Amino acid sequence: MSALVECRGLTRVYHKGDQEIRPLDELDLDVDEGTFTALMGPSGSGKTTLLNLVAGIDRATSGTLRVEGVELGALSNTELARWRAHTIGYVFQLYHLVPVLTAYENVELPLLLRDDTRRERHRKVAAALELVGLADRHDHFPRQLSGGQEQRVALARAIVTDPRIIVADEPTGDLDAAAADAILDLLGALRRELGKTLLMVTHDPRAAAHADRVIHLEKGRIVAAAAATS
Amino acid sequence: MKLLPWDYGVRNLLRAPGRTALGAGGVALVTALLVTAAAFVRGMNGSLAETGGLRNVILLGAGSEDSVERSEVKAGVAGIVAASVPGIEERLGVPYVSPEINVALVVNVDGQERQASFRGVTDAAYLVHPQVRIVEGRAPRAGELLVGRFAAARLDVPDERLAVGRSVDIDGRPWTIAGRFEAPGTVLDAEIWCDAQELRVATRRETLSGIVLTLADDAQTDDLDLFTKQRLDLELVALPERGYYARLHDFLAPVRAMVWTTALLVAGAALLGGIDTMHASFAARIRELATLRALGFANGAIALSLVQEALLTAALGALVGAACVLPLDGLAVRVSMGAFGLRVDGTALALGLGAACGVGLLGSLPAAWRCLRMELVAALRAD
Repeated sequence: MSALVECRGLTRVYHKGDQEIRPLDELDLDVDEGTFTALMGPSGSGKTTLLNLVAGIDRATSGTLRVEGVELGALSNTELARWRAHTIGYVFQLYHLVPVLTAYENVELPLLLRDDTRRERHRKVAAALELVGLADRHDHFPRQLSGGQEQRVALARAIVTDPRIIVADEPTGDLDAAAADAILDLLGALRRELGKTLLMVTHDPRAAAHADRVIHLEKGRIVAAAAATS
Repeated sequence: MKLLPWDYGVRNLLRAPGRTALGAGGVALVTALLVTAAAFVRGMNGSLAETGGLRNVILLGAGSEDSVERSEVKAGVAGIVAASVPGIEERLGVPYVSPEINVALVVNVDGQERQASFRGVTDAAYLVHPQVRIVEGRAPRAGELLVGRFAAARLDVPDERLAVGRSVDIDGRPWTIAGRFEAPGTVLDAEIWCDAQELRVATRRETLSGIVLTLADDAQTDDLDLFTKQRLDLELVALPERGYYARLHDFLAPVRAMVWTTALLVAGAALLGGIDTMHASFAARIRELATLRALGFANGAIALSLVQEALLTAALGALVGAACVLPLDGLAVRVSMGAFGLRVDGTALALGLGAACGVGLLGSLPAAWRCLRMELVAALRAD
């Protein structure tokens, strides 16, 4: 059975003035469905770049990247946006909630890109908020929530479309220990109970310990890959 | 293309109320200015276009086609015309032939000398100028005046100074105001009428300025043209009354051009300011806009939402601007040729509202484009 995410010779090159920056360099990686993978490494090692490529919000300079059998490099920007909306749930370090929308409306946003009826949207949003334990805060605006609650809303937004893959960029980086644990427990539960495939960037070994596999990157290459030790 | 919720655009307006108010205030100024400019031009055009009756013809002295005040027609010509030209409208045997004297006179009002447009008339004037309606007092007799509703504006004196019963001096002789009239949307509104014979004596002139006559429904101007060509001794030229005022309309083209140019320059400056303000507003939300893109919303859908915000701000400003200038409708404006009322009508308002929407649209699109063309990864990291 082929992997859900297949990277072959994946390279990303930026140019800053005359300087060439190569955050990913000929990287090969497979991520199987239903696994929780943590990406670790020093700043500039390419972990966030890899995450962005898998999430379809950035494009590789060379190499191939197949997700769910789709070659992302072959998609136009419009096709890629549509693919993201249906395949990926993204959790940002700083939550990236829309401040003028309530928790409910923030979670509902990705569903507006689908053909769901209002009733279907309501059912899905309510279920997602219930799952992250914020059903009673559905009408709160982001400014009325704590950091941990905001991240849980962001998580609900990421899972509301029932994507096969959830990518998380330092999801606990801005949270205190208790809130971080709550988020990591939720991510673990998503894998265990719903069979989601998770890819998480983190600097925190405690966060990485929640994953099945930890991949260490340096200078755009994998330097170590091992099963996580809880 | 799936769109962002309407509420998103609306609530963003309340996010930075000061900025929204500033933007709306700018648009309100542009709207107010453009509506006022349109009201000015429409009032001016309207007063000239609607002064002449559709079936009215004005007989002037040959060579004076451009100015009735310079024209001279022999005093007895009106009777000859009424008797000789077929096809003139009649009522109860009275022909619609109005001998008139148009003259600019210096009036002494409380020691201040002002220039006013006078029209010496007979009873026939009320037949050929049916727009004229006496709204207070009565028609003037010897030594009396009938003043138009904008005559005070033309003289630059308070309206009550020309109230019925008050008097003004002309050439050292007091004339009492016997009545007031209105002739909405025409240049007559700014005139002062009196008896033609009285005015002829006061101005020591032997001649009329012109003769205004109304043709019957089915009459042609050919008979009148033929009359003026056969009676060369009378030295007359016949012009459709509307044509005469259309010439004045052309004469005022530079004034209209100046008004429009000023208004458009200010609107252009407001547009550039609007682009800058909106770019600052959108740029402050680059990361949020990038998040929407990352979720899968198309750039077009996000741009549409930003345009919606701009249009709502513009509409708010336009309504405020329009509300501010609505009370100016009918306000007398004094110009060298007389006075007319500002015309804040549907067309002027539609122009102002349309321009406001244009400022919103043209102001927001470049700003939205600049924000949305940014690379998604970089935009997600923006502060």
